[in-house]
Amino acid sequence: MNARIKVIYERLLAKEYRLNRSDEVYDFANDFAFNKVDYISRSSQRLAKLVELEKLTLYPEDRFGFYRSLKSIPSLLTDDEWQELRSKYTIFDGAYVGNIASDYETIIRVGFQEKLKEIENEPNDIELLAMKETIKAVLRISQRYQEYALLKGNKELAEALKIVPLKGAESFYQACLFLKILNYSLWLNGNKHITIGRFDQYMLSYFNNDMKNKVINEEEALEIIEELFLSLNFDADLYPGIQQGDNGQSLVVGGVDKEGKDAYNDLSRLVLLASLELNLIDPKINMRVNKNTAQKWYDLGTQLTKKGLGFPQYSNDDIVIPALLKWGYAEKDARDYVVAACWEFIIPGVAMDIPNIDAFNFAKVINDTIHTYLLDSETYEDLFIKVKTNMAKEVKRMVELTNNLYMLPSPLQSVIMQGPISKHLDISLGGVKYYNYGFHGTGLSNAVDALSALKKTVYDNKEILKEDLLKALDNDFVNNEKLRNTLINVCKMGTNDDYVDSIACQLLEIFAKECSSYKNQWGGIYRAGTGSAMYYIWYSQDLPATADGRRAKENLSANYSPSLNCNIPGVLSVIKSFTKPNLINVCNGGPLTLEFHDSLFRNEEGSQKVAMLVQTFVALGGHQLQLNSINRDTLLDAQKNPEKHKNLIVRVWGWSGYFNELDKVYQDHIIKRLEFMR
Amino acid sequence: MKGRIFAIEEFAVYDGPGIRTTLFLKGCPLNCNWCHNPEGKEYKKQSLRNLNGCLDCKACFKVCPFKRESCNACGNCLSVCPKNLIRMSGIDYEAQELATILLKNVDILKMNKGGITITGGEPLAQLDFLNELLDLLKGKVHLAIETSGYCQTNDFLKIINKLDLVIMDAKIIEKEKALKYLGVDNELIINNLKELSKSKIPHIIRIPLIPEVSDTLDNLKDIIALIKDSSSLLGVELLPYNKFAGSKYKLIGKEYKPLFKENLQVNINTKIFIDNQIEVRGM
Repeated sequence: MNARIKVIYERLLAKEYRLNRSDEVYDFANDFAFNKVDYISRSSQRLAKLVELEKLTLYPEDRFGFYRSLKSIPSLLTDDEWQELRSKYTIFDGAYVGNIASDYETIIRVGFQEKLKEIENEPNDIELLAMKETIKAVLRISQRYQEYALLKGNKELAEALKIVPLKGAESFYQACLFLKILNYSLWLNGNKHITIGRFDQYMLSYFNNDMKNKVINEEEALEIIEELFLSLNFDADLYPGIQQGDNGQSLVVGGVDKEGKDAYNDLSRLVLLASLELNLIDPKINMRVNKNTAQKWYDLGTQLTKKGLGFPQYSNDDIVIPALLKWGYAEKDARDYVVAACWEFIIPGVAMDIPNIDAFNFAKVINDTIHTYLLDSETYEDLFIKVKTNMAKEVKRMVELTNNLYMLPSPLQSVIMQGPISKHLDISLGGVKYYNYGFHGTGLSNAVDALSALKKTVYDNKEILKEDLLKALDNDFVNNEKLRNTLINVCKMGTNDDYVDSIACQLLEIFAKECSSYKNQWGGIYRAGTGSAMYYIWYSQDLPATADGRRAKENLSANYSPSLNCNIPGVLSVIKSFTKPNLINVCNGGPLTLEFHDSLFRNEEGSQKVAMLVQTFVALGGHQLQLNSINRDTLLDAQKNPEKHKNLIVRVWGWSGYFNELDKVYQDHIIKRLEFMR
Repeated sequence: MKGRIFAIEEFAVYDGPGIRTTLFLKGCPLNCNWCHNPEGKEYKKQSLRNLNGCLDCKACFKVCPFKRESCNACGNCLSVCPKNLIRMSGIDYEAQELATILLKNVDILKMNKGGITITGGEPLAQLDFLNELLDLLKGKVHLAIETSGYCQTNDFLKIINKLDLVIMDAKIIEKEKALKYLGVDNELIINNLKELSKSKIPHIIRIPLIPEVSDTLDNLKDIIALIKDSSSLLGVELLPYNKFAGSKYKLIGKEYKPLFKENLQVNINTKIFIDNQIEVRGM
């Protein structure tokens, strides 16, 4: 990073810019209610008020500006109205539109001016009026910044703001500034989980043009990207999520374009370089790969993994695109997929999918089935029939919970999607093409391990009596370590053993099949997935001991990963196990997560081999992969709770060892060493 | 026949080309003072008790016939630990059975131009078993060994001729010093090193750099004299000592006692190899 970027980086760390923020909490809802303002108009009116209330901040030579000053966004509805809404409808995630991907390509190309024209060519109604007012609000804050930039002598920004966002961007810098304005406005508008999408695609023409006309060179392009990325971090602490950082600012590079051709380009490389240099959690980098992706992209990705931020996350086009086609997405849409906040596959510009509407709890369904039917099940197959029935029941129950969903209107989001203007329909009411739902699948490996352990010990080997097993589960294995250890030592998902992996294939197939038999209120489908989100923690709290040897409250596996009790033989076996199921059927999103100690990356050789491993995962038909380079916090936790980190391997010197098994003095040393690596 | 192993490591990254699976055979006739795999030293099975996280509940103590004073690897303690902190070092396998396990991921190994590396302990210490295992694996996957080279020369030659790559240690050349730090007469080792250098088998020489023991100019010169004329030498790998060597001794209830000054700066002399046209790899 150059000197200029360093200054901005320091600014981010120093947090001095936050002094300009306001704690003031405004109440608009009571006025809205008193004046009987409809909900659609409330959204645009709120934004119009907020852009006046925002205090502006600019630093010398600041190219992006647009810092948030209001810490909280006032509610659109009064408490009473909320209560009424909740009594009538299903409300998901605060009813806010979010976790989707905007049509950045179009809006950055044509500017809001073109959208205003489109609206004026249509007959007037509430929807379009709200969209128009919203656009005016975005133009207003841009104008305020433009004037402020002039006042501050910041000519570059002032000039650019004369063009964007009113007109389409004329340069790479303007296009990036446009993106920043959209990002800022969406957050201010109360939308959540604002994704960045295929930056290296929708920004490419501006980049190429500027490069061709020598407006910028590559170094300058990198500087612009880095400045933009930094600007996405300045107010990240204000963005709502389960944990800070859970804000959905995910960016996707590579993959194939809408015609199916390799889409990696110079801009993809610069994005990865910028992320590599900045070492920041936003934006979160995702790489789309497929069997034709060149080795060099994996190598670059691995360099990023080495940083220990837990990304890039890889998505395999060869599985994801066929999955989306199978679910009825049009070919050009499927090829254009991005990831939502975490890993759910969504389509930019045309979809209001809710791929995280609920999470199927594999572990609980299996556990309940065992408790209800084990005694009466003569054979394992008898029990498995009940498993199927109960899974079907659970999917049905979850589907019913999603009925009658209500979302608050978002005229701003509507304007930057395809459809709402011409259809005169807000995105929350049906203005776009796709309204599919997705269910996560949480605790799969625990469920699979439980069935495997039970099949082996109770039915095959008859070494544990049904009654004893149930009693031990009820007692949370107290005074029964022997039985628990027997259960733990049965082969588990992640050991590349068909005995257990075939159960995983069956469970996923049933889950997919059951989901596919329902339609939602929009006529959309239910997509089955392998993610867990935060549910692996939430669900584990109420789940008693399970037959895989897991004690009550112990965490379930995160996403699509081996359980914490699994003694995995190694990462190759894990990859083999987890690529056996036909993942095309359960492709809502949810990665296999592999953890490596960062010393594995100590030289070129180690990094290259990690890159080869990712390619192997793709070749074997994996859908999504997340690699973690283990950091100090994990090691500290492993010291306190070694049983939770049994498979944590650390490269110690020219050899590897289980972290748990090293003397504490050596563990401390490694932890210390990591402090210096930060 | 049966052989005894103490670990299989998948995705071994530093034990030869490509993605590899590394097998650790149990037992080693040497007694290298800086050995970092003490659980692989003895041929007999041992229970490894990880004291990190131990609740001191004495469950293992109660079921042990020797009250933990010694261990006959009866395995009683393995299943009673509430934290699952005890495991066995030493599992016996028929060669065929082990070959099947090792070949389980052979598609991944081949896709990534890798293979299987056999190390230890000292793999040559289970000579007959190693021969049988290599015969079962030969032709199916790239095969490598990591060895101290300590065995009869005719046996050594028989083994290396079945391999695609040999990674051999050259630790200490001076006889008296070797006796002190390796615990054996190094004559066989030096003979085998000469044989390996004469052979056509691609090989890498690994040199642990122990301060004032093996990192001395004299020792490096002695090593270079033995290997520099080889036409099949791919290069040397220098492994500077670091203080993690002792980290696993408590697992087997022993104490790590280095006979050298651990804290001294290791002399990493790459220049002397380059001057002799020997490639220094992986630094």
